[in-house]
This record gives sequence, C-alpha cells and structure tokens, in this order.
Amino acid sequence: MIDYKKVDFSQILTRYDLAVQNETSPEEAAKKMLPSDPILKAVAETVLYKKVKDVGPAMAAALEKFPADQVINDGLVPGIDAVGKLYNEHVYYLPDMMVAAKVMEIGIALAEKKMGGARETKADVIMHAAEGDPHDIGKNIAAAMMKAAGYNVIDLGRDVPITVAVEKCIEVKPLFMSGTALMTTTMSAFPEEAKRMKEAGLNIPLMGCGGAVNREFSNSYDLGIYSDKANQTPMIAEKLLAGYDWKRVREEWDSIVKGE
Amino acid sequence: MASIKYKSMAYKCADDIIMGSALHPVSEGFGLKIGSGQVIPEINYAPRAGTEKDVERFRKEYVDYISKDALDRCITAGFPAVHLETEWVSQMNQEKLSAPVVAGQKEICEKYHDEYGLACGVRHTIPDQREADEGLRPGMDKVHSYPEKFFGCCDIACENGCDNLSVESVGGKEFADYAVTQGDIVAFLFGVGYLGSVDMEYIWSEMVDVAKRNRTVAGGDTDCSGANTSMFMAGGMLDMDVQKTFSAITRVIAAPRTLVAWECGAVGPDKDCGYEGIINKCIAGKPTTQEGKNCQCAHCDLMGNLTAQICDCWSNESVEYHPEFGGTSVACWMGSLGYEAALMNTAIQTGNAKTLRDLYALTDLTRSPEAYCLAYFNAYEIGQAIVAEGDSYYLRARAGALKACEIMEKGYNDKILRLSKKQYEVLIDSKKKIEALPTEEDTFVEKCVKEYDGVVKNFNMKNYGF
Repeated sequence: MIDYKKVDFSQILTRYDLAVQNETSPEEAAKKMLPSDPILKAVAETVLYKKVKDVGPAMAAALEKFPADQVINDGLVPGIDAVGKLYNEHVYYLPDMMVAAKVMEIGIALAEKKMGGARETKADVIMHAAEGDPHDIGKNIAAAMMKAAGYNVIDLGRDVPITVAVEKCIEVKPLFMSGTALMTTTMSAFPEEAKRMKEAGLNIPLMGCGGAVNREFSNSYDLGIYSDKANQTPMIAEKLLAGYDWKRVREEWDSIVKGE
Repeated sequence: MASIKYKSMAYKCADDIIMGSALHPVSEGFGLKIGSGQVIPEINYAPRAGTEKDVERFRKEYVDYISKDALDRCITAGFPAVHLETEWVSQMNQEKLSAPVVAGQKEICEKYHDEYGLACGVRHTIPDQREADEGLRPGMDKVHSYPEKFFGCCDIACENGCDNLSVESVGGKEFADYAVTQGDIVAFLFGVGYLGSVDMEYIWSEMVDVAKRNRTVAGGDTDCSGANTSMFMAGGMLDMDVQKTFSAITRVIAAPRTLVAWECGAVGPDKDCGYEGIINKCIAGKPTTQEGKNCQCAHCDLMGNLTAQICDCWSNESVEYHPEFGGTSVACWMGSLGYEAALMNTAIQTGNAKTLRDLYALTDLTRSPEAYCLAYFNAYEIGQAIVAEGDSYYLRARAGALKACEIMEKGYNDKILRLSKKQYEVLIDSKKKIEALPTEEDTFVEKCVKEYDGVVKNFNMKNYGF
C-alpha cells in the first residue's frame, strides 16, 4: 500500500457536506414557531420532536380543552411546519421528517375520531408508480409530505395499470395526479395517461417524477408537469391550489421549487 | 442445491488482490476470460421509450442499433474484449419480446468474434418484479404471477443463448425501503441481512440449476434495491436525506446477502451496481463487475475511482440509447469504458497494478464514509469479520456492520475520515443499536418479527418460506 500518511486530501477533494452542515439544534431552530398555549404547544412538540408514544396523551389533553379542528390547525400543523422548516435548513433529515409525519398522522386520526369524521383537507391528490414499475420509495416519501401538508392522498401503489390510474382520475377529479418511474420503458405510461385524461375532458395536471423522468420529458406532452424531489411536490401543489394550471406551473417552475 | 457458506478468506491478505485477476476466473461467450489478467469493459444500455411496443422494433433496438454500435466502437477504438449487459426491461417477461433479443445478441457477438476476433459475450439480467404484498414465492401471487414469471425469464434467457445469467433481486426490499426512510438500521439488518439472504438462497439455488442445464454461466446479484437506494438517498455532498454513515453500514450489510449467489454456485462476475462486490471478491476470489467514474451517464456516486481498484469488469451502469456528438450514447460510453480498462490493463502489463489500485483507492478514500469502508484494505477486514460468523446469515451481517462501524470510528478518531456532527451521531447510534442486538439468530428473528409485524408494510414471513 502506498504510504498516504502525508497526503493532503484537501488537495484532492473538498468535503462540501462538512462546510455547509447546520449544527443548530432543533430546539433553537424551532423556537419561534410553536404555539404559545402550553397544551397546544405540547401537541406541536410531539410532532416536532417525533414523540410517537407521547402524541396520544398530548392529543387527549388538548381535545379536552379545544375543538378538534383547532387542535389540528393550532397544534399539529405548527409542529409539522416547524419540521418542514428544519428539514429545508438541513437541521432535520428524511427519517426525522418521516417519523414526524407518522406522529402527525396519529394525531390527526385521534382528532378525526373526536370529530366523528374526516377532517377537511386542502384537496384530493392521486399518486402512483407507473405500470410495470416496482420502485415506489420516492412516491411514498412525497405522499408522506403531502399528507403532512394537509392533502388527502389517494395512493394507488406501484405497478399501476394506465387504465386504473386514468379511471381513478376521472372518478375523483383530483388537484393533480403524480406518477413515478425509474425506468425509461415505464415512464412512457405518462404521456398515454395524459392523452386519455384529455380525451376524457380532464384538464388536470399529471406530475411526472422518478429517476428516469426529467423535466423535458414531463413537459413534452399536454397536462405534464415535473417534480424533481419529493419536497417540491407540496410547493407545486400550493400553486395549483392557488389556481395555477399546468401551463403556468411549467412557466414558473424554477421559482416555484425555490419556494418563491 | 444447498449453499456452501464461506468461512474463510480466499486471499491471504488484502495486498494480494488486484484488478483484472480473480482466483476463480470465468470463461463465457466468445473467448471472454473474466478475471484472468485483463479488465474487461462492460457496457449496459436501455432502449428508447416506446420501442417496447413493437416486437421487431424492439429487437432491432437492442441488436441492430445498441449491440452493433457498442461492438463497432470496440473495433473502431481497438478494444480487445467487451461484456455486454442487457438489463431486461419489465416488458421482457414476455417471451415474444425477450427471446429474439437474446438470440439476436448472441448472433451478432458471434459475428464480431468470427470477423475480428473480438472477445465478447452478453450478460442477461432478468427482471425481478416480485412484490412483497402479492407474494415472493411461486403460487402466492394471484395477480401477476411474478414469481413464476421470474423463473420463466431465467429459462427464456438461458434457452436462447444467454452467456451470463444475473439478476437484481428484491428480497428484503420492503424492509430496506422502511429502514432507509425511517433511519432504522436494525430493520435493514433483519430485512436485507437476514430475510434477503434467505430469499437469495431460494432463488439462486433455482437459477444455478437453470444455468447449469443450459450450460450458461450463473453470474451474480446485487442489493440494488436496498443498499443502492440507501446510497442514492445519501447522495452527493449537498444531499442529506440519509446520513452517509448510515448508507455505509447498509452497504456492508448487503455484502453477505449478495454473497449468497456465489455460495449457491454462481461464479461471477457479480452485478456492476453491487458495490458490495468489492468485499465479496476479497472473501470469495470470484470476479466482480464494478462501476464508478465511467457511469456518470446513470448517476454520480462518491467513489468514482475507488470502485475500480480491484474490479474485473468495468461498467457504465446504464445509458439510454440516443444520439450524442460523438456517436450514439452506447458508442460514446463504450469508448469511455474501453479507454479506462486500457489504462488498468497497461498497469497490469507493466507491473503497476498495485500502484494504480492504490491511487484509485486513495482519490476517494476520504470522500465519503461508504468509500472509506469499501477501500480494498478496509473491505478485506470487513470480509474477515463476515466469514468469522459464516454459518449464520444474521450474525455475519451483524459482524460486518459492527466492523464497518469500528473502521469508520477509528478513521474519524485518527483524523483521516472527516464526519459531520450528524454523520458521527448516526454512526455511534447505529453502532450502539447493533451491539445491543441478541447474539443468537433465533432470538433476533423472534424479536424482529414481533417488533416489525404490522409496522413494516407488506412484511410477511411466508414470503421467505417460513
């Protein structure tokens, strides 16, 4: 083995990951983001600090004092918003986000039980992995982020036949449908789905995602829009909710995914 | 066929291992000798979207365009040998699409061998579409019959002229997805290290039989669905979804899983995207295909040079067929691979293989924790830990993982391997969790079944024959 004791590795490579690391603690980063009421704050903290076992008692205490929808909006939502901020600032990472989303889901289920029905969500969205494609981890992450952001996610799973995806779209008329594909031969499902959606008179955006898909491909057929990373999906959804159509999303995509 | 587990290292020391040479070389195709003193470029490709819709167009895409362009570039640039890899797209589980491609590629390889003396052969990597929710074993999947189709694809490939039968199997994937997104190293150890190995033993016993019946070389596997998912999520310098110390441990856990193919009688080379093949070559002395800097068409990892250190075939991972300024994409990447292999072969011929090996390793040694673990001298130590627990799928995966933690921690303490605060925290946390696990396989399995039942989506012990 060549002696490398005197090698100056900084002349070979730069560890940018060390240079940009954010050493702020979650407590510091989330200081001003939590509600002031101690009971609602306790609910928010179970989400922020990923306390799966504590969310039940915290929700029970909050539901004693506040209406269920208020516990969601002023307790759980500020908690997950803080998690999103920490994630974007690299204080939190994917596993933190996923566990927090799970806590949020438990909390919402408890609130809905008290309400006697489902909470009001921002909109329905359909998500699926393309026909013939078994790779769905990206879709699952995006789905968790969309649920945490307040959307009703209709998850069709993976290897979803084109006909099933389109039929569901016709039935539900969601805010958008997303499809993920890791293979060049499965992503060809998306233009076909878009064509059939158009033939059915739908003007619903079809978001193409996944390793094989790129922006150029997603923009190459009517209805197609693109999401590069899971955390961009809620950002694009917000714009669609605000009235953007698929053409405007394409035009303003760069600024949308910067959170502008 | 039963598997025979590795309980000792094939090489006496790490320094004995070099690129292009394996203790157990493999002959296949038309004059290909892999691991017998020469590094061979391995070109991989994907057809253009839409070509799968027509049988003849599909055959032409693979044979008349992709294979011909790759082989022509070998002749143009003067490369003596090439391994082609056809990673079957999902639609190729239909014989009408796959059989003409396999036969056509065999035919064109023979033509170039006869006309120019080019040593060549084709690896066929069949699709593993099995889904944990429907069932991984034959008779379970009532919706798609994917397990039956899986073995059917092995037959189609081998009966039509496949030179090397390989797969990227998915056993343990349901756990890998959960483990990576939740940061749960124990789930990965159970799902990939244990259950994945059990699945490997099942499928590879069958695959080796099919290959033998048809005089085909049984190549190898990769934990692409687990360790690569982890590595890609950990990503580059600015991607931080998954900690790179976590992905390093998952890579090491994947090694004994991928090794099972060879324990069942496969002979190599294993699959390019199985970076764990570095550890496995140290253990078994069978040839490994690796990928790195010349697979930028597919992805960028943090060990582009390092993975070349002891490779026997050198791959581009995959590229979609399309035009580039310098020719079609496969021709261009063929050139890129062929020249890199030529450098390695020059090093071998001039007696400088060890020097080049060390230079490859050192350029990336400190680029990421995963690269650090896969540097051949560290990979060898990890291999030693794995074979010391050779009898138990669980214990050997656990031993490898703990050795990787120890190597990274020492590298950090010695100020060679730099880690971010979070990377270090995850390393120590993972180490503690693994250390706390039972030292008996049965106890561990019982504990995990109890812990993950109903937690990991689609977890079903029946998928693994229990």
